[in-house]
Amino acid sequence: MAPTLCAACKTERALIRRPKNHQRLCKSCFISVFEDEVHHTITSSKLFFPGEKVAIGASGGKDSTVLASVLKTLNERHKYGLDLVLLSIDEGIKGYRDDSLETVKRNATQYDMPLKIVGYDELYGWTMDQVVEAIGKKGNCTYCGVFRRQALDRGAKMLGIRHVVTGHNADDVAETVMMNLLRGDLARLSRSTSIVTGDSSSDVKRSKPLKYAYEKEIVLYAHHKKLDYFSTECIYSPEAFRGSARGLIKNLERVRPTAILDIVRSGEDMARLVPVNTGRSCACTADAAPAVAAEEDGVGGCGSANGRSSGGEMADMEKQLRQSEAAEGLEVDVSAKQPPRIAKPKADVVRLPVRSNGSGAKVLGQQTLGTCERCGYMSSQAICQACMLLEGLNKNRPQIQI
Amino acid sequence: MVTKEEAGLQPLERPCKKCNKQEATQISRTEPVCRDCFTQYIYSKCVRQIGIVGKETQPPQGAPPIPRRYVLGLSLGTSSTVLLHIVNSYVDAILSKGRRSPFDLDVICIDTSISDYPNEQLQRTAETYRQHYPRLNVEVIPLTAVLGIPSIDWTSLPTLKQDAASPDQLRDLFSRLPSATSRADILRLFTRHLLIHTALARGCQAVLFGHSTTTLGALTLAETAKGRGFSLPWQINDGVLPVGDFSSRDRDPTAATPTKQTIRVHYPLREIYRKELDTYAALTDPPLAEIIPPEEAVDRAGSVVSHRDLSIDEVMVRYFADVEENYPSIVANVVRTTAKLSRLDAEERCGVCGMTLDETGDERWKGEIGEGGGGGDGAGRSGLCYGCERSVHG
Repeated sequence: MAPTLCAACKTERALIRRPKNHQRLCKSCFISVFEDEVHHTITSSKLFFPGEKVAIGASGGKDSTVLASVLKTLNERHKYGLDLVLLSIDEGIKGYRDDSLETVKRNATQYDMPLKIVGYDELYGWTMDQVVEAIGKKGNCTYCGVFRRQALDRGAKMLGIRHVVTGHNADDVAETVMMNLLRGDLARLSRSTSIVTGDSSSDVKRSKPLKYAYEKEIVLYAHHKKLDYFSTECIYSPEAFRGSARGLIKNLERVRPTAILDIVRSGEDMARLVPVNTGRSCACTADAAPAVAAEEDGVGGCGSANGRSSGGEMADMEKQLRQSEAAEGLEVDVSAKQPPRIAKPKADVVRLPVRSNGSGAKVLGQQTLGTCERCGYMSSQAICQACMLLEGLNKNRPQIQI
Repeated sequence: MVTKEEAGLQPLERPCKKCNKQEATQISRTEPVCRDCFTQYIYSKCVRQIGIVGKETQPPQGAPPIPRRYVLGLSLGTSSTVLLHIVNSYVDAILSKGRRSPFDLDVICIDTSISDYPNEQLQRTAETYRQHYPRLNVEVIPLTAVLGIPSIDWTSLPTLKQDAASPDQLRDLFSRLPSATSRADILRLFTRHLLIHTALARGCQAVLFGHSTTTLGALTLAETAKGRGFSLPWQINDGVLPVGDFSSRDRDPTAATPTKQTIRVHYPLREIYRKELDTYAALTDPPLAEIIPPEEAVDRAGSVVSHRDLSIDEVMVRYFADVEENYPSIVANVVRTTAKLSRLDAEERCGVCGMTLDETGDERWKGEIGEGGGGGDGAGRSGLCYGCERSVHG
């Protein structure tokens, strides 16, 4: 049997079956297709401007390593004129970061990029190991997630950089969409899908250039480009909503590879259906979506707990929902005479051009964005989450609930 | 001292939390309840929803009353059978008070076997249902009746085989769809179209579906995974559904859009878990479980969807059965949450699923993904939504 030829160049032997659409490609065509797609994402969303200083959130993992490699390649090839810097966070977890930080250091020399490592200890006065020692293994992912989100921004600020790119891929976004549906969190759902969070009004803008790239293709790219990356799971990572969503997505991808991208698409569309969310999902134009609390941007760095509670997260929510259901049950007798009305035929139909701004529209997840009184980081509360948690830690007792 | 004769007065071992009079034998949402309270709970949850349909289809005040007529989609599974049973008992209860029936009911079972021969097994099952519910009209309609109905744009699907019998045409159409997921998806849409079409043709005001909370939850995530996030609120919420007409467009493309037809679509079992329906089916007298045919006997999708290849719908059904086991309220919450999403309406409808087309979304997506290279030329003009485009063309 003659070897299958690459579907793109039709000369080389096809060695790779693209996870995204099962197209058969040769090695070099796969690499160029992958890079072209990221380039397309960058240009269509107008992520960068010439001369922009951009920090790459680098963990030493496959996603951020591929992001750094691709951005360096594209920056040179398409003359973006970007000033790229690697920015790493050291959570202070022994054995977890030590090796990955070594990887990042090697990446810095390989890609000839400056590297800045910011430690939790210098930002907050606590390493994660110390936090775990103080509060135990349960719930510490809340701290890690909250601290990490700010850490990248604070680190970027220290370097005078206003744009951080992260390695979140299509699988991460799809996972977040499913997770927020399971959690019934529409406000987060509407935020999590946008490629850019934060805009000109906030100090630091975040974007995810690999938003449409499949995790499997990222691994393939790293493999074929022989990139130097470090793979490990956070040693404290628990199973929760995200874990459940992750398992589901892996199953769906097996059944229909396009499912991941289809979920991302669904998520973007649903974001526009969330009442009182005027935004288009990408913030690429001037009248961009408001900088809805990027502090709470869905995807947590370690991808395990999303900066929320750990372990029995699903069980906790189940319990909470049951309690409110029981409370509802008590109300039934009072309201029994007036069964809840479904809106009149036309009332629940919103015409397309009018983006559900009707006065009767329900307000969901409406937050006014301010800054934290203590650290100046953007926050919808007077004091940001990180400062709240720190206060608890510094009083030497765990914070019960945010 | 308590003797055996006084057993009636004996304190119950585990009294029902609701009536306190009988021994609790069931668990209803964490509370131990007796058989009667359990069935009453399920019954009243469903009847409340039926009441809402009645209220919504009421003519405006002062207008003459209209005879109400609904279609009930019977899949011969547990859920739709329980729905049928409850609706029937509800009407019975009203009739026994000497009042008029609040509505007429057409119970319609779509035969998805797509066979050249009459499906005798299905006919026998339908006969059992007729004997069980003599007052009701249980009909079997073959799926082939979907061919040519105006709410589907047949030009956007693979062209039908010329000069062939309709079962042959339909089988051929399914065989040309790209995957098991596509076939399961189109089969579900066709069944839905046919029920809605039948209801409209008979002047019915509403179609009732037997979806449970669990089914709706699974449907929500399955449609999300198939790229139909935009039309999700139209698919799983109760309410008025506009139905497009593609037949007039064929004859005269310049013709003004015909008067839009609308129909109500309701899921009266939306607040009941799948497991509760199973329990209910076993508790009725005689147990409904006896008339519900075993799943392999009906084999809803077997004719067109091979069992070897799993579809996204099946993955989701399994996942939700699992989640419901441990976290039922989370399943219910998924359904409640999706109900909060707005329904955006526009003139243009998808030729296959019949839902609103999302042109702004399609345009933006194509810009961001940079599609077009992969043989998707003319994708924008096909008149299909993102999810149907995927199902029809892969």
